[in-house]
Amino acid sequence: MSLLRRFVWGILLLWILSGAYVVQTDREAVVTRFGAVVEPRVLPGVHYALPWPIDRVSTLKVRQLQRLVIGGEAADMVLGKTQPLASQFLTGDQNIINMRVVVQYSVGIPADYLFRTANVAQTTGAIVEAELARRIGRSDVDAILTTEKLAIQDAVLAAAQKRLNEYGAGVKLSTVNIESVTAPPEAADAFRDVASARADTARIVNEAQSYANDLLPRARGEASQLMESAEAYRTAKVNEATGDADRFTAVAAEYAKAPEVTGGRLYIEAMEQILPRIRKLIVDGNGNFDLSIIRRGDVPKNP
Amino acid sequence: MEKYRKYLPAAIAVGALILIWRTFFSVSETEFVLVTQFGRPLYAATDAGLHMKWAFQSATYFDRRLRVYNPRPSEFLTRDKKNIVVDSYVAWRIQDPARFVQTVGDPVAAEMRLHDIVWSGLSAALGAHDLDALVAPGGKVQTGDLMDALTDLTDRSALAQYGIRVADVRIKRINLPEQNKQSVYARMRAERERIARQYRAEGEEQALSIRADADRQKAEILSAAYREAEKIRGQGDAESTRIYGQAYSKNPRFYKLLRTLEAYKKVLDDKTTAILSSDSELLRVLTHGEAGAK
Repeated sequence: MSLLRRFVWGILLLWILSGAYVVQTDREAVVTRFGAVVEPRVLPGVHYALPWPIDRVSTLKVRQLQRLVIGGEAADMVLGKTQPLASQFLTGDQNIINMRVVVQYSVGIPADYLFRTANVAQTTGAIVEAELARRIGRSDVDAILTTEKLAIQDAVLAAAQKRLNEYGAGVKLSTVNIESVTAPPEAADAFRDVASARADTARIVNEAQSYANDLLPRARGEASQLMESAEAYRTAKVNEATGDADRFTAVAAEYAKAPEVTGGRLYIEAMEQILPRIRKLIVDGNGNFDLSIIRRGDVPKNP
Repeated sequence: MEKYRKYLPAAIAVGALILIWRTFFSVSETEFVLVTQFGRPLYAATDAGLHMKWAFQSATYFDRRLRVYNPRPSEFLTRDKKNIVVDSYVAWRIQDPARFVQTVGDPVAAEMRLHDIVWSGLSAALGAHDLDALVAPGGKVQTGDLMDALTDLTDRSALAQYGIRVADVRIKRINLPEQNKQSVYARMRAERERIARQYRAEGEEQALSIRADADRQKAEILSAAYREAEKIRGQGDAESTRIYGQAYSKNPRFYKLLRTLEAYKKVLDDKTTAILSSDSELLRVLTHGEAGAK
């Protein structure tokens, strides 16, 4: 009888002990008693809950990021598995663009995450997709392709998070990342042409800029050359004049002392220099001579 | 009779267990439990935890979690008679299990009913606006407000009829029907071509103005330099003239002599034929001898 009793106590003890549980470091646990939440957030460590069937412990990897893709996986797209429809969005200016968006989320409030929605991934995906389409439907295609991408990501993240909170889904969105935005293949070449036109514009403008950058320094150089040569001219002119004037003044002073002699000397010296070079005909002082001797050209050349 | 007496405690224990089993029931956070008596709904246990009922009553479990229902994308007409394909979702949950079980019974049937309500609601909401207002930069018609109104409408009707709470009706995607897309692509291409041309023309404009500006600056710089240079040259000329004038005016006669002789040296070259009178100042000595020097 005591053996049976001991056995019963043993079973009871084991049953009571079976309530101990361990929460791993990357997890959190939620404890429910007869279905109602009693411990909404149990942090990592060793804990005790009342044994089955009273308490139930559900653990969650709270930090693990879940990933979902809107617009089809790139690999699937290459293989042609997804429909093009899945990735097509209509922009505010009624252009069609292809987008692929990757959403990452994790557990925000464990109890809500576990009990509030039937399918967390589907709910999150639907909300993000709706918010995304709404933003895209209000933006221009150019803005989406260029400047507004980050703003759209942020706006969608904020709006989707707000809605998830309204639903009490217990989900924490960490990123909404627009991985690719492309023009549809049917119009892709035209979009590429716009990009190359933009590049052409930059190139043409750069060329003009470099033309200007080349031209202006040269012009400035030329200008300073002009100025320098003008300065040189002025200095030369003044120096020459001063020199000439000084020389004249000096000679004139001497001339004034004996004008007759000096004048005569200067005259004769000049004649000495001039006459050897030129043809000369010396005629009689009364002025009669026959001009034909010039015409005949038999006048001897310079000696 | 006496013979079975020893089984009595065991029988009582089993009976008690069954009674407990039938009496207590737990309601999870994710569920509603509807207590029925012979098929007639009595009340719904909505608080999670342990509950009691009479053993002869039975419990039916309903999932109370929020579900997302995705109707198939369907075509709608806008007010300006344009076709759009709308992909939407409905977030709903069971609110009144008694009504739910009586009117629809299971989630699949519920979603079919929801589809009908949402379809007619969307049809009316979208039909009241032009496409250009629904899909427009900046959003002329806030589709968010439109959907809030539709959510309210759907919620009221679904709650009253089926005991369903509609948390949200949202448009996931507005798209154009396949047959309209080709014309959209053509328009997109034309628009891109226009933009590309505009970019190129603007680039050309900018480049031309940069070049013209550079040319103008060059002309300005050079002409200003010319002006300054000529001024400086003029100063040089004026200064030299002044110096010459000042010096020469001291003895104009001598200057005239000197300058004339100087000019002779230049003017009279080897092509010149001079007919000299033997009476001239230079030659008088030649013809008249020593007396000529006087």
